Amino acid sequence: VERVVLEFVRLLRRHRVPVSPAEGLDALAALQRTGLGDREVVRAALRATLIKRGEDGAAFDRLFELYFGLGDEARPRPDRPPPHVHHNGASPTELRFGEDLEGDPLGEEGHSHDDPSPIDLRRFLEEDELRPGSDLHGEPERLRLSVFGSQLMLSRSQDALEQAMKRMTHQIRVRRARSFSPGSVAPESGAEQLPVDLTDSEFADLVEELRAAGVDEALVQAITAGADDILAALPGLLRSLMERQARMRAAAAREAPAASLSLQRMLERSPGDQRELELAIRRLGRRLHGARTRRMRRARTGRVDVARTLRANLGYEGVPFEPVLRRRRDQRPRLVVLLDVSLSTRNLARFWLQLVFELQSHFSRVRTFAFVADLVEITPLLEAQGLAGGVETLFAGDLIDVDENSDFGRAAEQMRTGHLGAITRRTTVVVLGDGRNNGRPPNVGALEEIARHARRVLWMTPEPRWGWQLGSCDMARYEPACDAVEVVRTAADLGAFAERVLAAGSVAR
Amino acid sequence: VSDTAGVAFAGIDDVRSRLAEQEYLCDRRVATVVFLATAIGKPVLVEGPAGVGKTELAKAVAAALDRKLIRLQCYEGLDESKALYEWEYAKQLLYTQVLREKIGELIGPARDLRAAAAALRDQEDIFFSDAFLVERPILQAIRAEKPPVLLLDEIDRADEEFEAFLLEFLSDYQVSIPEIGTVTATHTPLVVLTSNRSRELSEATKRRCLHLQLEYPGAELELEIVRLKAPGAGEALARDLVATIQRIRGLDLRKAPSVGETLDWAQALVVLGARSLSRELIEETLSVVIKYDGDAAKVRQALAADGEPAGHAHPHSHSH
Repeated sequence: VERVVLEFVRLLRRHRVPVSPAEGLDALAALQRTGLGDREVVRAALRATLIKRGEDGAAFDRLFELYFGLGDEARPRPDRPPPHVHHNGASPTELRFGEDLEGDPLGEEGHSHDDPSPIDLRRFLEEDELRPGSDLHGEPERLRLSVFGSQLMLSRSQDALEQAMKRMTHQIRVRRARSFSPGSVAPESGAEQLPVDLTDSEFADLVEELRAAGVDEALVQAITAGADDILAALPGLLRSLMERQARMRAAAAREAPAASLSLQRMLERSPGDQRELELAIRRLGRRLHGARTRRMRRARTGRVDVARTLRANLGYEGVPFEPVLRRRRDQRPRLVVLLDVSLSTRNLARFWLQLVFELQSHFSRVRTFAFVADLVEITPLLEAQGLAGGVETLFAGDLIDVDENSDFGRAAEQMRTGHLGAITRRTTVVVLGDGRNNGRPPNVGALEEIARHARRVLWMTPEPRWGWQLGSCDMARYEPACDAVEVVRTAADLGAFAERVLAAGSVAR
Repeated sequence: VSDTAGVAFAGIDDVRSRLAEQEYLCDRRVATVVFLATAIGKPVLVEGPAGVGKTELAKAVAAALDRKLIRLQCYEGLDESKALYEWEYAKQLLYTQVLREKIGELIGPARDLRAAAAALRDQEDIFFSDAFLVERPILQAIRAEKPPVLLLDEIDRADEEFEAFLLEFLSDYQVSIPEIGTVTATHTPLVVLTSNRSRELSEATKRRCLHLQLEYPGAELELEIVRLKAPGAGEALARDLVATIQRIRGLDLRKAPSVGETLDWAQALVVLGARSLSRELIEETLSVVIKYDGDAAKVRQALAADGEPAGHAHPHSHSH
C-alpha cells in the first residue's frame, strides 16, 4: 500500500497537482482502512485525501485510470473481479508492469542509476518520449529503443556515450510481428510469447559496445546486472507502452491545462478553448478574492466596543475610564489601468480587462484608459456596454485610431496633462504595453511624474526581457521609473501579476 | 480515534445504510469519505453548489451516529468571541461589585498590605475560570462529554483571518485561550465544513481536511430521494419530475434548482393532485423551482423546444 500511495502521489505531483506530505500520509491511512479491494472506494478515498481543488479533479481521474487501470480494458477477465489493485501486490514483476506507466519524476535522476535495481527501466518510459510524434509512432514497423538511449545520455551526458547510443539504436531493434497491435495483445500469462526478439547475445553486444565507447564502468555494470530484469520486463514494457500510446494519442488533445498555455496560442484556438481560458481566469479571480475583511480594528477614533471596554476597565470597577474604540478599515487600493491596445498587445489587454473585471470588488475605484498614440478613458464605455461590448467598440476603432503605431511618450504626456487628478497616493497604476515607441521620443519624464503621484507603478509587458534590446523598444528606459516590470505570457503569469497588484494595495496602510 | 465505540460506522456499506435510515441517500463515494472521516479522525470539507445537501449530510451523519450536532453558521466578521469563547463581562462585573463589600471578610485579618495582596492573588484566578466563560460552538465541541458532530456551515463566508484561526483546531482539535491555556478535545469531534465556493479556501485549510465535492445527484439517485421523501407522488409523476429537473439543471441558469426545491415541487404537485407532468402544469408551478425571471424564460424556451416534458421522452417511463 505504501508503495502504491507513494508512487501515485509522485505521479500527481509530476502533473502539477500539488500534494503535501501530510496529504500523502492521509491517503495512506485512508487506504489502510478501506483496503484495496474495491476500485471505486480506492478512487474515492484517494480523491478525498489528495485532491483539494476542483480543477485538479480531471487530472486525477485521468491519472487514476492510467495508474490503476492498466490492461484492464484490454483484457477483461471476469474470473478476477477487481484485478489491478491486487495485481500491484502480487509479484514484483507484475508490479513493475502495472506501475511503470509514468516512471519516476525526472527530478531525482541522480541516485538510482548507480544501483542496478530493475526499477531503473521505468525511467526509459518517461511520458514525454511516449507522446505521439516520437519515433515510436512515426516508424510503426520497428520499435526502436531510442527512448532507452536518450535517457542514458541525459543522465550521463557524455559525448562518447551519445555516439555509442546512436549506433546502438540502429542495432537493437525489436521487430513487431504482424499481430502485435495495441488492441489485441498476447495473453497475459505469456510475456515470453510476445514476438520480441531481443536476445541475450544482442544484449551482450550492446554492453560491449558501451564499454568500447568508453562509458563509465559503473553504468555498464549496472546495466549488465540488470540484464535479466530488463530482458524479462521488456515484452511487458513494450506492451504497456503500446497500450499507453493509444491512450496518450486520444488524450493528447485535451492535455494541456489552459493556465500554462501561452495566451497568444490560446487565442488562436477554438472558441471552446477560449471559454476554458476564461474559466481559468475566473477561477483565478476567485482564488485571489478572499473575503474582504470586515473586522473592526482598534483605532483612535470610531465606535465604542462595549465588551472590550468593560474588559479593559475591570480594574476601575467597570467604570469606563479608557474606552476601547474600533473602526472598520477600508484598505482597498484604487486602480488606474493604462492599456496599449495596438495590435501587438491587444490580446493581453483583453485578458487583463477580464481579470480586472473579476477582481473589481477588490478596488475601491477602477479607471481604465486605453491608448495607441492618443489616450482615452474607457471607464464609462465599459460601464455602459459591459466588458464584451466595450472591448468590441474599442477595437473597432471608433474612439481612437487603433491602427496607428503605438506611442507611449505621447500617451504618457496626455495622461500627465489631462488625467493626473485620477492618480492619488492610494492609486496603483498598471501599464500594459510592450514599450515600443517606433522611434518617437520615449518621454520618460512624464511617466516619472505619474509615478511620483501614484503609490505604485506596475508595468506588464508580453515581450520577454531579451526582446527589449531589439528594434525600437524603450522598455529598458521605462523600467527605472516603474516599481516593477513583469513579463506576462501565460494565464498563470497574469494571475501572478494580479496577485502582485492586490498585494500592492494591502502593504501600505 | 477509538472514542466512537458503540456507535461508530463499521464500514462503507454500514455508512450508507445508516444514512439511508436517516432518509439521506448517497452514493458510495460520499459514504467512503464519511467513513474515512470517522475512521481516521479528520475534518471533512464538503464543497458544492447550493442545495445539494451539504448541510443535510452533516445532520444525517450526526443522527446516524446518535451524536449531538453543534452548528456554527459562518458569516463575514465572525470572530473568536462568537465562535470559540467569550468572558461574561457583566457577570464578572457584578461579582466585583459584590465582592467589594465582602472583601474585608474574605481577606481576613491580614497583617499588612503585602499579605492582603497575596491573599487576593490566590483568589484572582476565579475571574477567569469556567464560571465566567461562555462556551461558543467550537469550545463546546472540544469540551463535550460525548464526541459531537461540529458543523461549520458556509465557511467560505467567513474572513480569511477566521480560517487561519481555525487551523489549530482543525489539525489538533485544540484551541489556545490566553487566560486559561490550551484546551484539547477529550473526544475527537467529527468536524464538517461546508463551502459554496463563493471564494477559494486557503491551501492550509484544505490540506487539513478530507475533501468531498458534492454535485447534484444523478437521475436515479434523485428519483430514489423523491420516492423516499415525497411518497405521495406517483411513480410516473416522480419520473417525469426528476427527468424535467435534470433537464433544467443542464441549462445555463443563474440558479439551478436544488434537491430541496425538487422535493418542494413534488409536494406542490402532490397537493395539486397531479398524476403526471404536463406542459401546462409545468408552466403553472415553475415558480416553485425557478426563482429568477430570466431563468424561467430560458426554461420555458428549452422545454418548448423539446416539444414535450422531458419525462415522456424517457424510454424507461413505464418499464417499472
